[in-house]
Amino acid sequence: MWNAVSGDTKWNDPENTICISSGPLGGTPGYPGGGKSIVTSISPLTGVPIDSNVGGYFGPYKKFSGFDVIQVDGKAKTDTIIFIDGIESKIKIFEAKDLPTDSYELSDVLTRHFDEDKPVNVSVVTAGPGAEHTFFGCLNFSWWDAGRKRVRYKQAGRGGIGTVFADKKVKAIVARYGAISMKSNNPADLDALKLVTKSHAKEIKELDPKQNRMSLVGTTHLVPIMNDHDCLPVHNFKFGSHPESHVIGEEVYEHIFDKGFDGCWRGCTVACSHGVKDFSPFTGPYRGKKVFVDGPEYETVAGCGSSLGIFDAHTILEINFYCDAYGLDTISVGTSIAFVMECFENNLITTDHTDGMDLSFGNRFNALKIIHQMAKGEGFGAIVGKGIRNMKKIFAKDFGADMAFMQDIGMESKGLEFSEYITKESLAQQGGYGLALKGPQHDEAWLIFLDMVHNFMPTFEDKAEALHWFPMFRTWFGLCGLCKLPWNDIVPEDNKNTFEPAKVAKHLGWYADFFSAVTGRKSGPEDLLAMSEGVYNFQRVFNLKMGFGTREHDTVPYRAVGPVTVEEYESRQKRYDDQLKEKYDMDIREMSSKDKVAALRQKREEQYEQLKDAVYARRGWTQNGIPTVKTVKRLGIDFPEVMEVLKKNGVE
Amino acid sequence: MIEVDEKQMQWSENMTIASLLMTLDNVEFCAVVRLNGRLVSSPKFTETPIEDNSKIQLLPLVAGG
Repeated sequence: MWNAVSGDTKWNDPENTICISSGPLGGTPGYPGGGKSIVTSISPLTGVPIDSNVGGYFGPYKKFSGFDVIQVDGKAKTDTIIFIDGIESKIKIFEAKDLPTDSYELSDVLTRHFDEDKPVNVSVVTAGPGAEHTFFGCLNFSWWDAGRKRVRYKQAGRGGIGTVFADKKVKAIVARYGAISMKSNNPADLDALKLVTKSHAKEIKELDPKQNRMSLVGTTHLVPIMNDHDCLPVHNFKFGSHPESHVIGEEVYEHIFDKGFDGCWRGCTVACSHGVKDFSPFTGPYRGKKVFVDGPEYETVAGCGSSLGIFDAHTILEINFYCDAYGLDTISVGTSIAFVMECFENNLITTDHTDGMDLSFGNRFNALKIIHQMAKGEGFGAIVGKGIRNMKKIFAKDFGADMAFMQDIGMESKGLEFSEYITKESLAQQGGYGLALKGPQHDEAWLIFLDMVHNFMPTFEDKAEALHWFPMFRTWFGLCGLCKLPWNDIVPEDNKNTFEPAKVAKHLGWYADFFSAVTGRKSGPEDLLAMSEGVYNFQRVFNLKMGFGTREHDTVPYRAVGPVTVEEYESRQKRYDDQLKEKYDMDIREMSSKDKVAALRQKREEQYEQLKDAVYARRGWTQNGIPTVKTVKRLGIDFPEVMEVLKKNGVE
Repeated sequence: MIEVDEKQMQWSENMTIASLLMTLDNVEFCAVVRLNGRLVSSPKFTETPIEDNSKIQLLPLVAGG
């Protein structure tokens, strides 16, 4: 990507590129989470590189066909299908004609077309009409579910890579490959690979049923947990819990999910990609038909459920289904509609602007109507599909809406919509979102438990240390073609007795063994961080090259930091009053709620800036958030072009 | 008797999740338990009673999402 784009490249310029890689380890059957791909492009939402981690069989099939990475540049004149045939060692490019427009049908048609006898040999990457008409289009990566005899898919959801895909007029990329074994990835030490794979898979199989039960409920167990910790987004992140949350969590989906193996890669024992069969939508083109819904995961439940005030498992399934079929990122869809609903309830926008739609929280019919509009690029949905950062400008300019209030409640940073966690009481997670390279996505740093619940990082320096090592480990999984869940979502029974339980040392040892066995490069747990740190800093410099990547871009809306409104403050009054009195030693007896909101805001915003100082220092960056010359030299990324970008930004 | 992580323990009257955890070692990471199959999080530990013959699993949550 660095070589493909210049600092002036926009997302829809021909030179923007989509890269898909499954790293050195991706495609190892049986290793938990061992079949992921990382997809990158310049994002339509942020203008900087976005990376999205996704399951499905495409990455491994593409790799075994001879390509570690594929890079898609340019723009086709007509809709195009790229076919990578690893069985016949050929690449073919077709003009796409008379094919279904949505991903749900298209994935199925192409899978059966390219290997009718053995559909398990085929994996398809598609977007959809929503990707064509919004800035947050996703990519669907398919696999053939042999048990259910149907196509399933997972999403590279974040940042609008599907939008770039559609803009290039790529209708689909198809990979076909034959029999897979542990030898397919050509490991340097097959016996060592078998040993470590067996050890990790066995542990997951034994412990997942005793811990999060992800093989049964996916990530929906997080709904009740986040709700009880006041971290579940409700009504556009205004509140962190709701009495009706029990009807949209694992308590319900455990009974709705179709039983069977749900791994998005062969032999994965986490197998958390659950779905619902024979679902009958009540709106849209599939109304009344029976479909299979892949999902929902926690993020979709929270973003398209509680944050919209929709406490109805059926509606969440329908939103999930149509977002996937249309090629829309459920997180950006949910967070964007939640923003619109709060604007509507505060009269910043009215039915005059929304095609007559009542967009109060909880209005499930109109939430779905917006999604159908997004797929067609029509009506108010076309505006919502531009994302929150663009909506703020449109609402202010065209509708006269209050920009300052929208800045406070619009849950985006760097142009990317927030994923689904309330961060008001976790300063470290505020940094986890605000300091993430690509924007506020939790896969870089997820520190809510370690910070807010366990209170393991009381000082700024402690938080900065965690905001150093946690993103580095998570980056490593993306680089290597792995899923992050088996690292620390299922932990050894004796983990609590180890020196640093948060790092799950036993698993780091296994990952180092896994890396050594496949690559032949003997590595220990300490080497994993070094692999990531160079790439992580290079990506920060890449942001700088694109005109971003400095302190001012690491801001978050105040809604992520503290209560914006009196209503919000008074909903948790005791908590906030106690903090003003005890933590900040303030006499609040004569203060109105409005005064208290302002006082708390001043303190919390100061803290966030102090956190930035501490994190930049720990990462070896200037106080403007730019890697220093010493840092890039230490990491071996002091290429002439990198030094030139630093110099242009005053770092020599 | 109650069962905690597959080990038998004596049950006592007025037992709550919070009071149970105070009797156990190395529970710093325990922010959530499964009580008879139902998830209960730390803000509710004090108010959640444990009945006799209950089955409890301590969930060592580190990450999520």
